[in-house]
Amino acid sequence: MLFFFVLPLLTTVVISFWRTESYTIIHDWNIDNYVVLLTKHTYLVFLGRSILMATAVTLISLIYSWPIAYFIAYAGGRYKLVLVLLTSAPFFTGIILRVTALQQIFGPIGIINTALINLGLKPINAFMYSNFASGMGLVYLWIPFMILAIYLSLLNFNFDLLEVAKVNGASPIKAFFEVTLPLNWIGTAVGIVLVFVPTLAASITPRFLGGVNGALFGNILAHQFGATGTWALGSAMGVVLFFVSIIAIFLVWKTVDLRRSGFTGGDI
Amino acid sequence: MSETILQLQGIYKNFGSVEAAKNISINVSKELFALLGPSGSGKTTMLRIIAGLETPDKGRVLINGRDVTNLPPYKRGIGMVFQDFLLFPHKTVKENIVFPLKMQGKDESTKEEQYQWVSQLVHLEGLDERFPYQLSGGQKQRVALARGLVSRPSVLLLDEPLANLDRELRKEMEIEIRRFQLELGIPFIYVTHNQEEALTMSDRMAIMRLGQLEQIGDKFELYHHPQTSFVASFLGSTNAMQGEIKAVDNGCIVVDWDGVSLRAPYKDDFKIGMTVDYFLKSEKITIHPPGQKPDDHGRTVIEGRLRDTIFKGQYADYLISLKNDNEIIVSDVPTISPALRNATVSISWPSEAPDVFPADGGLA
Ligand SMILES: Nc1ncnc2c1ncn2[C@@H]1O[C@H](COP(=O)(O)OP(=O)(O)OP(=O)(O)O)[C@@H](O)[C@H]1O
Ligand SMILES: [Mg+2]
Repeated sequence: MLFFFVLPLLTTVVISFWRTESYTIIHDWNIDNYVVLLTKHTYLVFLGRSILMATAVTLISLIYSWPIAYFIAYAGGRYKLVLVLLTSAPFFTGIILRVTALQQIFGPIGIINTALINLGLKPINAFMYSNFASGMGLVYLWIPFMILAIYLSLLNFNFDLLEVAKVNGASPIKAFFEVTLPLNWIGTAVGIVLVFVPTLAASITPRFLGGVNGALFGNILAHQFGATGTWALGSAMGVVLFFVSIIAIFLVWKTVDLRRSGFTGGDI
Repeated sequence: MSETILQLQGIYKNFGSVEAAKNISINVSKELFALLGPSGSGKTTMLRIIAGLETPDKGRVLINGRDVTNLPPYKRGIGMVFQDFLLFPHKTVKENIVFPLKMQGKDESTKEEQYQWVSQLVHLEGLDERFPYQLSGGQKQRVALARGLVSRPSVLLLDEPLANLDRELRKEMEIEIRRFQLELGIPFIYVTHNQEEALTMSDRMAIMRLGQLEQIGDKFELYHHPQTSFVASFLGSTNAMQGEIKAVDNGCIVVDWDGVSLRAPYKDDFKIGMTVDYFLKSEKITIHPPGQKPDDHGRTVIEGRLRDTIFKGQYADYLISLKNDNEIIVSDVPTISPALRNATVSISWPSEAPDVFPADGGLA
């Protein structure tokens, strides 16, 4: 645990306080990298974009995952487990193939636009290399985690409580917000973190689907370790990502009130 | 009887090949109506149909004359108390109880007022901020009842509400629930498979079996004048015997039960040679101390050996072995000394005590 988790983090933090010159690291303690990151407009814009993207992707995943997880948990019968495992299908082929498949759908000559052209309509630009396309790609990539987290939570949910709610005057929608969601909020919160955090650092998906104007913080970060060779700045960016993630996790954690989660098994 | 609030008209419901409700028709007024039947007889199904949690295949449900058959549960204005309480674990006692009012969009002052009223009614003062896991079984039960009553529903359905409580608490709650019903003046439909509970609490009751209503009526009527073999054997502590009608004598039939003669009133459909089921509640039998022989005029009198005495306090169960190797249980005042074990005693009962029905098929 210590070895795999703390050590790389520590290295990154240390490097982020050094600097790089002509592809070599110079052990010269300074905070210039952070000054650059926090004052230079471009980096903040990319960071902002990534946070926005991660938020949007998380929300969309949330809206899609709930009905899917709910359906599997409620009506899946003895195929529940298989069904929920099958939602990991996007991972079957590895990331490159997966992204390429999405290109086939969203790209300029992808399925959607080809169909539109064949119908004599104008292709939709939003589908081509854009933030929209990488957003969809990211949803597609991370949604299995959200589905799984909500599904596992629903396994312990007593669906009879919904009948109680209904007899007591709750419409299905009210019953969801009064009973189902609060009692499955821990699972949902785990799902939110599992989608938000990796999306925040995403680089491959936006690189393939986002096009020239679709670069996110993760792309710029990857760039520091590639072409420009500015590892120290890259490390500082990593540390920034780390803190944004920690803040996100903290915010999500604050929304969980154990006594209001129906959970009685002690602390979690 | 006062006006009808709830009506079921010709309800049918099948689950696959299981007939859970078969031509059920009931009218319930402002009374405590008990629904009694063995496990799987369709009691819960019936409540669920009334509540709207299940749609009948055929038939109608009316509340105050309005057809609600196709209304979803949340528009029916019914209260329901479930067997395993089913409190919302993430809500406090108070939030659980005011939930129905919240769903109806009632304002804060109404909620507070109704909450104060109901929490006093069911004696829940001081538990407002507790969560369900911090309550005892009896307290949970009270919260569940309060939640069912708080919006002053037009009907309250109770599905074995006391099944999970211990005996002491059950006795106490039986009386309480009866009190709530009288105080609120709305129909309570009370499902149970505990006949003592049904007999203690109800005004009228219905006996269910295999999705059908065997008999509906006043509880005394059902107990003392059952109309089917099932009701006769199901209610009370009953000795079940079977034999052939040997003779008709003076308005009575004489049934031969493995060599023992039993008397019962004559009914029109009885014929000599017919096989009948003969049910006799154990408390309708009198036990006579050794040496005393009762007058057998208009009574059935038989001799047997007192095999055992089970002392129960106010009364005792005597197990009597008969010469035909059968056994009869007699409940009577505990006057016979347990020391008389294996003594020969007489037992007797009036001719009109038993309930007799033609056995399946009627003929031997
Ligand atoms: N949703 C369902 N699907 C299939 N069969 C059902 C369903 N609900 C009830 N049944 C069947 O209908 C019959 C009546 O069930 P019900 O729950 O009404 O019985 P009950 O009288 O309440 O029994 P208990 O005293 O055990 O609670 C049973 O045979 C049961 O198996
Ligand atoms: Mg039941």
